[in-house]
This record gives sequence, structure tokens and C-alpha cells, in this order.
Amino acid sequence: MKEFKHVIADPLGMHARPAGMLVKAVAPYASKITITAPTGTADAKRLMALMRLAAKQGMELTVTVDGADEEKAAAELQAFLAANL
Amino acid sequence: MGFFSKLFGKNEEKLNPNHLYAPMAGAAVPVTEVPDPTFAEGMLGNGIAIIPTEGKVCAPCDATVDMMFTTGHAVSLVTEAGAEILIHVGLETVSLEGKPFKVHVASGDKVKKGQLLMEVDLEAVKAAGLNTITPMLVCNSADFNTFNTNVGAAVTNADVVIEIGK
Repeated sequence: MKEFKHVIADPLGMHARPAGMLVKAVAPYASKITITAPTGTADAKRLMALMRLAAKQGMELTVTVDGADEEKAAAELQAFLAANL
Repeated sequence: MGFFSKLFGKNEEKLNPNHLYAPMAGAAVPVTEVPDPTFAEGMLGNGIAIIPTEGKVCAPCDATVDMMFTTGHAVSLVTEAGAEILIHVGLETVSLEGKPFKVHVASGDKVKKGQLLMEVDLEAVKAAGLNTITPMLVCNSADFNTFNTNVGAAVTNADVVIEIGK
């Protein structure tokens, strides 16, 4: 299992567009990907769950990636978060 | 019985949980016509969009409010049929930080078809240079085998715009 943290830098936080882009970014991977915010925990492949986190700027996300392609999936997601959130 | 005869039939006492009615009055267009790739490419799910003529956003069916965004610009609902619906009022409206929106329901509320969810000052959105087009998407549209949309130049909350089936 891979785990890393990301603090949200985007002033608008996790709204519909970044949530949709995130789901699209992780969809090709078989690994189970979970994002935990102070507001809750979401399956990164479920758009509604991600939006429900209502994660705001400054909140720390803990991302866990578990599965056969976890190395690649974690690297991709870390790059995605750095670029978009 | 065809789709249209069902649509305009008189037996509306029992709502079909697979029917989603227009959340706003206006023109209903295919989601592919939304000038924003996040919506047009179906990244958030399949659906339609309303070019609204009135600022009232109503429930498209009986549902539970999954999340009312704190900014009031979007709401997600879960229907009795298990559809996860996102209504996103206008494009880029998250940036307005709630100002032109008035919220009438909260996360967790049970709502009836036609119930007022939020109101938006369409003129204020336009004055901010933003598009008022309002996508309504089924985020888990891939979970449904049947997905029909019904667009038209003038729809109201009495018109079915999406029909889904497992």
C-alpha cells in the first residue's frame, strides 16, 4: 500500500470540475484509492463521494492506494493533485 | 405505449422513479452542447442541460439531498432508483462564492419532485460574465442500461428530460 498527503492549495477547493478530473485520472487503475479529508473518507473513483468531502483550501488530504498498480496510480494521482488542487 | 404518450399521459399520480423532470424552466439541450469540456465530454456523467428562463431550481424527482454545496451553485441528489444526480447551476459559478444563490434545502433532506432546491439571480450571473446554462447529470449513468434524454425548446418541471433504467 502507498500513502501520501496533499494540502489543498486551490482557493476553490474540491468542487465539481476537479472532482470529475480526479475520477477520470484514477479510473484506468485497478488499485483501490481512498482519499481522507477532515470531513470524511471517499473512494476516489466515486464522483459524488469526492464532492461530499467538500474539501477546502488548506485541508490536508491523506491518499491511500492499494493494489497491483499502486506505484503508478499513486505517482499519477500525486502529480494530478499537485497540478490541479 | 411510446415515450411521448407516457410523457403526456394523464396517469401521473404515481411518479416513475426512473423519470427525471426538468429542474428549471427553459430550453433543454444535449449536454454535449455545454461550452465546457468537463460537462460536454461526460466527465461528470451523462445528462442534459437547461438554458434557464427562470431562476428557480426544483427537484427533478423524489430524492434525498446528498450534498448542497456551501456556495449554493450546485446540488447532488440520490433518487429512489439509485441515480446520483448533479445539478450545476451555471458554469464557473463556484467563483461567485454563493452571492447570487439562495439555498432552500440542506444536505440529508428528503425532497419531493418539484420542491424548490435553490434560487439563482440569473441576471447577476450574467452580469458577472458567466453562462447560466445548467447541466443536470447522472454521475453514475454507467450503472444504467437505458439512458434516454428528451430535449426541447421549452421545458418545465412537468416535462421528463431524462429516462433511466437498469
